[in-house]
Amino acid sequence: MSDSDQPRPGLGRRRLVQGAAGGLAAGAVVGLGAGWGVGSAAAASPSDDHDTVDLSTQHPFYDEPQPAGIKTPQQRYAVYMTFDLVDGALRSDLQVLLARWTAAIAQLMKGAPIGQVDSVRPGAIGQDTGEAAGLDPASLTVTVGLGPGLFDQRFGLSAKRPALLADLPALPSDNLVAASSGGDLSLQACADDPQVTYHAVRNLARMVRGTAKTRWAVLGFGRASAGKGQQTPRNLLGFKDGTRNLRSDAEYDGFVWVDDASEQSWLRGGTYQVVRKISMNIEVWDADPIDDQQSIFGRTKNVGAPLTGHGEFDTPDFHSRTASGKTVIPADSHVALAAHENNGGVKIMRRGYNYTEGINGFGQLDAGLLFIAYMNTPQHFITLQSKLGASDRLNEYISHIGSGLFAVPPAPRTGHYIGEQLFA
Amino acid sequence: MPVRHPAVLTAVAGVATLALAACGTNGGGTGSSRTGSSGTGSTNAAPVSNGAAQVHITLASGPSGDSCTIDHPQAKAGPVTFTVINTNATALTELELQSNQRIIGEKENLAPGLGAVKFTTTLGGGTYQIYCPGATKEMQNLTVTGKAAAATGGSASALLASGTAGYAQFVDTQLSAMKAGTAALRTAVDSGNLAQAKVKYAAARPYYEKIESDVDGFVLPGHSATDNAGNLDYLIDMRASNLDPKVGWHGFHAVERDLWQSGRITANTKKLAAELDTNVGKLVTLAKTLKYKPEDLANGAAGLLEEVQSNKIKGEEEFYSHLDLMDFNGNLEGAQQAFAYLKPGLNVLDPVLTKQISAEFAKVGGQLNAFRSAKGPGGFLPWTPAQRIKSAAALSQGVQGLQDPLSRIAEKVATQG
Repeated sequence: MSDSDQPRPGLGRRRLVQGAAGGLAAGAVVGLGAGWGVGSAAAASPSDDHDTVDLSTQHPFYDEPQPAGIKTPQQRYAVYMTFDLVDGALRSDLQVLLARWTAAIAQLMKGAPIGQVDSVRPGAIGQDTGEAAGLDPASLTVTVGLGPGLFDQRFGLSAKRPALLADLPALPSDNLVAASSGGDLSLQACADDPQVTYHAVRNLARMVRGTAKTRWAVLGFGRASAGKGQQTPRNLLGFKDGTRNLRSDAEYDGFVWVDDASEQSWLRGGTYQVVRKISMNIEVWDADPIDDQQSIFGRTKNVGAPLTGHGEFDTPDFHSRTASGKTVIPADSHVALAAHENNGGVKIMRRGYNYTEGINGFGQLDAGLLFIAYMNTPQHFITLQSKLGASDRLNEYISHIGSGLFAVPPAPRTGHYIGEQLFA
Repeated sequence: MPVRHPAVLTAVAGVATLALAACGTNGGGTGSSRTGSSGTGSTNAAPVSNGAAQVHITLASGPSGDSCTIDHPQAKAGPVTFTVINTNATALTELELQSNQRIIGEKENLAPGLGAVKFTTTLGGGTYQIYCPGATKEMQNLTVTGKAAAATGGSASALLASGTAGYAQFVDTQLSAMKAGTAALRTAVDSGNLAQAKVKYAAARPYYEKIESDVDGFVLPGHSATDNAGNLDYLIDMRASNLDPKVGWHGFHAVERDLWQSGRITANTKKLAAELDTNVGKLVTLAKTLKYKPEDLANGAAGLLEEVQSNKIKGEEEFYSHLDLMDFNGNLEGAQQAFAYLKPGLNVLDPVLTKQISAEFAKVGGQLNAFRSAKGPGGFLPWTPAQRIKSAAALSQGVQGLQDPLSRIAEKVATQG
């Protein structure tokens, strides 16, 4: 055990980063509140602790009831990358890959390098690539996903394939490109320091070269979803995203963790990860009047209140009608289509990030949402997206260009590795 | 990809036979003979059970790095069983048992969480090394008490020395062929025959690509090292993307531009072709003075693959003619030759790595073969932007799979120099 396991009290060792939302609000709520036209409903409450970042924070990895990086308070930055096993890779290669990833992730989450940065002897190549040397753990979590392809004939795992783990069906408005879809394996690395996330994925990719090749990747910033105790952040359309995200243990037990006797036993305590790369037509959106934007979302832009309420967390009333007889929250608005009230109670846990890839071939901003969601059956996403893809007024401004479905095994026990039960 | 190599087992078995003979035992084979089961050694000596001394080695992560701990650094001559477990050392994945820098037993893929692995070999008396690449203490001694095993032949350093001598001849051959190639290109350009000049250009190119990393360091007498006007590599092989405006454009790619982009042979083209031929002549003379150490071959091969990744895959090398895959093949062949000359010595030092690199070379060669075309210039399909979009990522990944094991050769062979 390294000394990084010890608590790190005291301000001398704490690296505090002021939050964009909570931190600023707490420090200067009066002045900024006026400047931004923020009403009292948006003032930060003391419960917004998670918006102040302590870079020395570490999260546990082994022996947890659930895999890291899902219920963990959402960090600010992410690198998401998928991989394919190379042609000819063997079952034992996959075991070694998962075992090495597991041990390395445990080490990286402590803020430790995965080997020596300095040269061990003349002419030697480095073990750890070094760019995170001296950086704090920054709440790093790395979550490993197993794609449907792993359960084909290659590794003798077809009998272990969860029935629900298959490529997502074609969904309305899909505009998927192969270069940002699919994969045999996925890595979701999240931390409050972007260099820490990149270092983690870079080194994990490096240690499996020759066994697995990179497929696609997205760098995420500015978490686009809120977890328990976090202020609701905003997506790049300027709206709060994740106001009604899952928060309670009961919701996680009911909608996220796999706990079904009919499921593969190795996946119990794990979950399904759905990832969608959603590009946004930012220039067009920015030219859309705010009134129209609000009716598209079904919420106000600034406060994030449903159009039938005043505060962000007011419950939307999908039956309330205007004098002319239309529902106040339009039936084809994003919030109406996605709400659990209108989907037989279905909920998913969203943990997405904004992303940008610079400028596209037409000189437009190339940016959007890396939608990552966790659920105990992918059918819940299919249900929601079938509706959203068909009717959401937001579709005029967004496009689903990437997609993936992965099974996330439960957290490993100390001395064991992720997915070990698959090979038993 | 990790490769299990039967040669390792052969080597172990060979030693075992010799050691058994030396020890005068009559057991049925490794691990089954009953030698020295009475515990008369010091407390450091490995206990004997099942007829073999039991040595346990633990790889673990600690505050100051990954460690490799041997429970008993002494054992009695005879069968020795090594039980190796990696508890949580992320940087350690292999362990070797060495004798005089020869690997006589080895375990790879020692990932944490995978459980213990064992190997048994019969050892004669003497000092052996447990080598844990990457550990804070990489090399540790294992002392075996008892009769020494007969010496085994085949010195790695002698094999490597003969390899470097052979490689020097290979480079000379390539240089002579390149000189003939640029002379033919000059003649074709002088004749004004565009089609013929293109054919001769393609024929002259691969030689430089095969040996580039050995010969790209020459500066003409009277010039400083930073003056491109005296840098032979600049004068022979500079691409449009990296021009020095003070010195202007010379060499192969300036000729390439005239032949393919403007499609005309001008007086300046003739001047460029003549100058190229002259500079290649100077290079041939200078390169004859080169002496090679084993690690030069290893680093040169790695350098050629870097050339592939940084210039050929992106289509920057032959921007006008799209002959990049021909150059890629030249780089690959050059690297493969350097490796081939190191191979007999490297195979003594590390047969598993040798086998792995051979397999990766074959893989990349196979990938490249898919682009061969009798009709294409230089024997390959033109590396057009459309072709790159379709195929560059897969080729690049293939080369990467070769680069990683290849980058480990230099340190292995350098210690033999």
